[in-house]
Amino acid sequence: MFEDLKPKKINLTEWSHQFRKISDQIIKKYKYYGNQDWGIYLSPLATFMVYGARQLKRLKFDNSFAALRLWGFVFNESERLFRAKQVGKKVIATMGDLGTIPVIVMSFPDCIPFYPECIWWTPFFNESFILLDMATKLGAPEPACFSRAALAAFYKKAYFPKPDLIFASTGASCDDYSCIMQLIEGLGYNPIWIEIPFRRKSRSYFVADDYEHTKWGIDYPKRFETYLMSEYEKVWQNMVEFTDINNRNYLAKSIKNANRLRKLVENIKKLSYEAELAPFPGLELMVIEFGNLYGYADFDEWTDIIEMVYETISERVQKGEGVLNPDALPIAWVTPSPDPYLLNLVEDLGCRIVATEYVINQALVEIEEDIEPFQALARSFLNASLIGSTEQRVRRIIEGVEHGRILGVLITNMLGCSHCAMETRLIQQMLSKVPVLSIDVPAPFGITEQLKSRIAAFVETIRCARR
Amino acid sequence: MRETLTPRERFGLLVIDEKPDRCNIIPLVTSHAAEIARMKLKKYYTNGEAMARAQIAAIEEYGHDAISIFSEVGIIAEAMGSDFDYPDDDLPVIKRPALTKKNIEDIKIPVPKRDKRLPVYLEAIGYAYQSLGDKVPILAYVPAPFTTGMMLSDPKTFLIQTIRDPDHIKKIMEKSLQAAIEFCYDIIDAGALPIIVDPLASSSVVSPKAYKNFALPYERALIDFLHRYDLDIILHICGNTEPILDLLLETGADLVSLDQVDLSLAIEKLSKRMRIIGNFDTSKIAFSSPEEIMEEVKNMVKRGIKSKKGYIASTGCEVPIKTPPENVRTFINAAKEVGWYWE
Repeated sequence: MFEDLKPKKINLTEWSHQFRKISDQIIKKYKYYGNQDWGIYLSPLATFMVYGARQLKRLKFDNSFAALRLWGFVFNESERLFRAKQVGKKVIATMGDLGTIPVIVMSFPDCIPFYPECIWWTPFFNESFILLDMATKLGAPEPACFSRAALAAFYKKAYFPKPDLIFASTGASCDDYSCIMQLIEGLGYNPIWIEIPFRRKSRSYFVADDYEHTKWGIDYPKRFETYLMSEYEKVWQNMVEFTDINNRNYLAKSIKNANRLRKLVENIKKLSYEAELAPFPGLELMVIEFGNLYGYADFDEWTDIIEMVYETISERVQKGEGVLNPDALPIAWVTPSPDPYLLNLVEDLGCRIVATEYVINQALVEIEEDIEPFQALARSFLNASLIGSTEQRVRRIIEGVEHGRILGVLITNMLGCSHCAMETRLIQQMLSKVPVLSIDVPAPFGITEQLKSRIAAFVETIRCARR
Repeated sequence: MRETLTPRERFGLLVIDEKPDRCNIIPLVTSHAAEIARMKLKKYYTNGEAMARAQIAAIEEYGHDAISIFSEVGIIAEAMGSDFDYPDDDLPVIKRPALTKKNIEDIKIPVPKRDKRLPVYLEAIGYAYQSLGDKVPILAYVPAPFTTGMMLSDPKTFLIQTIRDPDHIKKIMEKSLQAAIEFCYDIIDAGALPIIVDPLASSSVVSPKAYKNFALPYERALIDFLHRYDLDIILHICGNTEPILDLLLETGADLVSLDQVDLSLAIEKLSKRMRIIGNFDTSKIAFSSPEEIMEEVKNMVKRGIKSKKGYIASTGCEVPIKTPPENVRTFINAAKEVGWYWE
């Protein structure tokens, strides 16, 4: 077995050196969909660079075996989806809701959910404008959010196979994405639309509504729960019609599987953020957090990988080992960055991410198992920060600041994402007790020295404030 | 028909057994690129940036689907100690093979980032990758152990030793294999996909028996090493390979690039397990008229795209250096006319 070295972040070439020590037996041990013939995914990062992921040459990665598995699996997703179709599995695009509909889809045997909009990372990993330029040609304006890459991917049919079904959310979802989805519909795809309600905060003006609160303390009008349940019923019926299978017991099992992963990730975050030394890099932790959405198209294998990551982190915490300097400054990260390099950069400049608000918290909370499954799914979704007020969105960050756990906040905006444009100023106002830096994530390969200087100044400001 | 995909996307689909918009078109434009860039050959094969610039110029001129980092098959043998002459207007010519000067035990495994012209290739890959790597696959040609072994030796002695002293040949093969592995390792790290080339193992040069005993095991070992990376590996053997078609399946190559073989026979024997690359006659691309090339390439591609696991329209060997550009353009246009998979 490959034995982990002292934890640190290493580059692609160093990973290639380490990879040579890994035996053929181990390489063959890990397979997606359990397939022995073509399911290999344990490759060094150099493999994915050869196939076009150019940014890997500049990034640094955790040096553990668990991290190798993680990256190999994540970068293999495109091939995995094509292979799924080739062996007769059904590939279901679930867009916009971020975390709930895949739980329903996974209740149906051999149905693989995936999020096409997660392709927004690809232009950055590839340091390429191919998808973004094509999206512009297809009618998504240049200022639109980077999730417009999904439009080009649907057109090109080279990044994922043609989905067998598409569920697309609209309403209080990301509006840029919704527009992009409408353009995708214009390419000849037929999404089944799901509407997401906006979660009103104030009870006082809406006296006719009964209010409930989720297990995690978020208030919501009861009828929204009922409404979401009816939308999920619609998803279920479409899946039943498509697969000719109708077994609600499978849904309960799917919820259990989702919860197993969600608990693991919750524990990983808690361990990582509360340990004296940062046991795992922020980039990998972001990838782990997003894995909750759909397990990168093989939920069981992903959960197994996350168990290994959890063991690695636990061991490091027990030994008091970390990957960053002991004096790294704890910050919160608000809104996920499509450019992975930024997460490397911020750590290199002296910060440590100890809290995140990546607008996917609905996929991070456990789904209740002792109530009706659709109600449980609705109640878990109603925790979503994307569908509520800004104050609710940053509440946990504010708590972290009040307790002194968070010394600064970094907000990464997407140019053209209206949600970012409207919300960032409000977030800044609410977080006035600590230094807050809001930056616009530039287009691929666009991080300038000026931007680096701004982040360095932000770090210096936190350092001075701490002194 | 309108092209939907970039060459990289097209190649990416091919290697996962999906049909792209049209077949990949990758004539082996290697040193011919220097002609397109109006560059002295010596500059092309001794300067990595120049090699990359020439390749990029060729891509811009022809619009084919891959960059080919290659000049000639002596590159590893040179780094292991064989001496070459370097003419201004021709490819390097072997002057004194390493094994005529020292024993196999004294030959060192080269360090690709340091020794002789191996760094030229690595620099070329780095430059090309940075310039076009998101759009176009970068293929780097690596001489297989058998070919390198013969470039380390006096060819006549080498061939006789395959019969009289096979153990000695195997020692040469082992060392050449190690050298090829080290070179591939750095090629991958620079961003290119290694192609294994073994022209001296073709049936035009050695018997099928010699191929089976001395070339195939080391091709397979090299391919096994590369499969650890989950890369899809191309094996190119030019010349006549019809007598060893069945043996090619044993190499484990994912794509096989063929020259003097009946394409339909190759498809019949290999295409269930391998993607087929080939195989337009290089003398025809150099000397035939554009009209003849147009017709023959169309016929070839129409047969090729029936190949089960996929097909790359290509020349059987390198496009000769002095080939008229019009002929290469015609080759590519012909393949683009008939090589469509998507409606």
